Amino acid sequence: MTRAERRNLRNGLLFASPYLVGFTAFMLYPLAASIYFSFCEYNVIHAPIRIGLANFRVLFFDDARFWRALYNTCFYTAFSVPLGLGVSIGLAMLLHRKVRGLAVFRTVFFLPSIVPIVASSVLWLWVLNPDSGLLNGMLRQMLGIDGPGWLADTSWSKPSLILMSAWGVGGAMVIFLAGLADVPQVLYEVAEIDGAGPWGKFRNVTLPMLTPTILFNLVMGLITSFQYFTQAYVMTGGKGGPDDSTLFYCLYLYRNSFMYLRMGYASAMAWLLFAVILAATLVVLVSSKRWVYYHGE
Amino acid sequence: MLKDYAIAVIALLVCVALLAVLWPSAPESPEEREALAEGRVVITYWDRHSGHEHESRRELIDEFNRSQDKVYVRALSIGYNSLMEKLLTSIAGGVPPDICALDGTILAQLAAQGCFLPLDEFMGSDPYLSQDAFFPYIWDAVSQGGHVYGVPTTTDTYCLLWNKDAFRRAGLDPDRPPRSIEELESFAAQLTVQDESGIQQIGFLPWIPWDHSYKLGVIFGGTWYDPETDRMVCAEDPNILRSMQWQQSFAIDPDSDANPRHALDPQKFMSFQRNFGAYMSATNPFYTGKVAMIIEGEWQCTFIPKYAPDLNWGVAPFPAPEGVEPVAYSPTCIADCIPVGCRNEEAAFAFLRWFHRPRPDGRPSPSSDYNFAIHNIPCRPSEATQARFTDDPTFRVFVDVLMERPVATTPVTPVSQFMGDEIERYREKVVLRELTPEQALREVQDTVNAELRRTRAFLERTRP
Repeated sequence: MTRAERRNLRNGLLFASPYLVGFTAFMLYPLAASIYFSFCEYNVIHAPIRIGLANFRVLFFDDARFWRALYNTCFYTAFSVPLGLGVSIGLAMLLHRKVRGLAVFRTVFFLPSIVPIVASSVLWLWVLNPDSGLLNGMLRQMLGIDGPGWLADTSWSKPSLILMSAWGVGGAMVIFLAGLADVPQVLYEVAEIDGAGPWGKFRNVTLPMLTPTILFNLVMGLITSFQYFTQAYVMTGGKGGPDDSTLFYCLYLYRNSFMYLRMGYASAMAWLLFAVILAATLVVLVSSKRWVYYHGE
Repeated sequence: MLKDYAIAVIALLVCVALLAVLWPSAPESPEEREALAEGRVVITYWDRHSGHEHESRRELIDEFNRSQDKVYVRALSIGYNSLMEKLLTSIAGGVPPDICALDGTILAQLAAQGCFLPLDEFMGSDPYLSQDAFFPYIWDAVSQGGHVYGVPTTTDTYCLLWNKDAFRRAGLDPDRPPRSIEELESFAAQLTVQDESGIQQIGFLPWIPWDHSYKLGVIFGGTWYDPETDRMVCAEDPNILRSMQWQQSFAIDPDSDANPRHALDPQKFMSFQRNFGAYMSATNPFYTGKVAMIIEGEWQCTFIPKYAPDLNWGVAPFPAPEGVEPVAYSPTCIADCIPVGCRNEEAAFAFLRWFHRPRPDGRPSPSSDYNFAIHNIPCRPSEATQARFTDDPTFRVFVDVLMERPVATTPVTPVSQFMGDEIERYREKVVLRELTPEQALREVQDTVNAELRRTRAFLERTRP
């Protein structure tokens, strides 16, 4: 190493040091510790006691709430991720057209995703209020139907949260907009010459060209929706009611760790969630070879 | 060279900025800065109360700070919701507050884990802090294994509150509360207002403003938990079963043609409950007339004048079922604890001594003043019967219930949070008729007992 290189290395490390120190202390160490804790009985206060695979055994065979929480989370993921993709692609298509005030529209649709989650959850509590809420008010006045109890109804509580998730698609929408800008105009012209209509162009040009972006947003969507917590915590008073219908995985994990002092058990849950997300992501990535098109390849 | 110099300066600035942000004991107020300059010991006090209740506590702490040249107390309102996780992590991290005010149920759970210093010596040496000074049930709630872990400050009990205007509108005598469970049911039916768009006013529901299963069980003469054998016995107790069946009777059974008149459609009342405003605000459903009768605590004697001064309300003991001895239910108390790892024990003791003893000039203790300010019941019978508490006819109802009846409380176990969650969760399943009361109580008993055995075994193994 020359002197200049050494100096660069030193300066580079120095500049990266806040991150490196923070990452080691607040991410790497806790991650490693939680692997260990997942094989222990641990309550934060006392030294952990190793109990082998007992936490996992209880989770799999003895804890119906664990399965309930996993089911709720998978249900949410299965509907909110496709909904999010659909809505964000649709919005991106609309906002890709050259109309007056485009910047304003783009800002308006992006804004909700930067509203703090707690604030937007409280807002949605009012929107979804069965009697005085905006949503049921509109249903009653415009369609003449009595809306459901939304969050108060065990069969509507998860759909309510799924519906609400479409409100935060701004981030994905922006990425799709960038993806759309990348589609070569010439392909549309070729398609038009071949006689493709708007649907044909979307189906055969836009969508294939967007698949890398869809893959990215799909994977990110999977990860965030499996970790769904804040909205459920805020909107159900932290308990996952009514009747455990919104008891999401991370909510149950949180109650185990800090309310029931089962930190080892909660660590085991966290690593199982990691395994689930990893598996889901791998499935998507492996299958992506069959449906993602990288032009230029 | 110049570039290196610039880099070093930037790095230094970043470090200084980080330190300034993360420095743990930056003074929070001019008073505190002054106290630090005088060389006083600054201790931290975490309050479980918030809002106007915390403000009242803070006024008393300010009084202490003014009276002192050795100790300064910095009070923080942590609130109830995240108290447990904040306290746990601070103890585990070795930086706990010097004193923490918290609920008896949390105290029981954390004291079993060894989170608090035993206060036997400190409290035993002082006639105002020793066992004889307190209500016996409160001493039991803050004690475990022969040690005492908290200085009790406030206690509570619950009664039935009713809205006199709603009674008048329903054609009931506004000054005559229900005197039996049967009357409560029929008043509830008469006070409920429904139209085609749903419920407009609820007469009475047993789980408003929150789950009351535990207290209803003991009011019905039942026993949830047997301390002798250290196990839940709710599934074996016919009175607990009766209380659960009674709660279920408030939800319509779609398969029955003989629903009682006070029963409501679960979908409708769950929707209606979504309209309830914040508890500590003018939109509290009892204040806005959405609920005509409610199980509530004595703190409403401060809350209602503050948030709903025009409310026309009364208070009476909750009626006992026929043939059952009337009891008072108390969720134990809120007590001041000293977490393990406290760095200024002596200063903490000095403050607690000041707060919990009568003032030198003969005026009542700050602790009693605090109870009076927020209308909670003092933990000492001698203070609870002070004229300022008993002169208030509404507050007196609560004090009398607590003084005259046997008191049933939430049990002291290391799994109190889990127990409360399970009871509430299964009560919900009973109301929604997913489980029969018998099945639900069996589930509660089995799951809580399993958790209790697991926790006891773990604590046994961690014992040094």
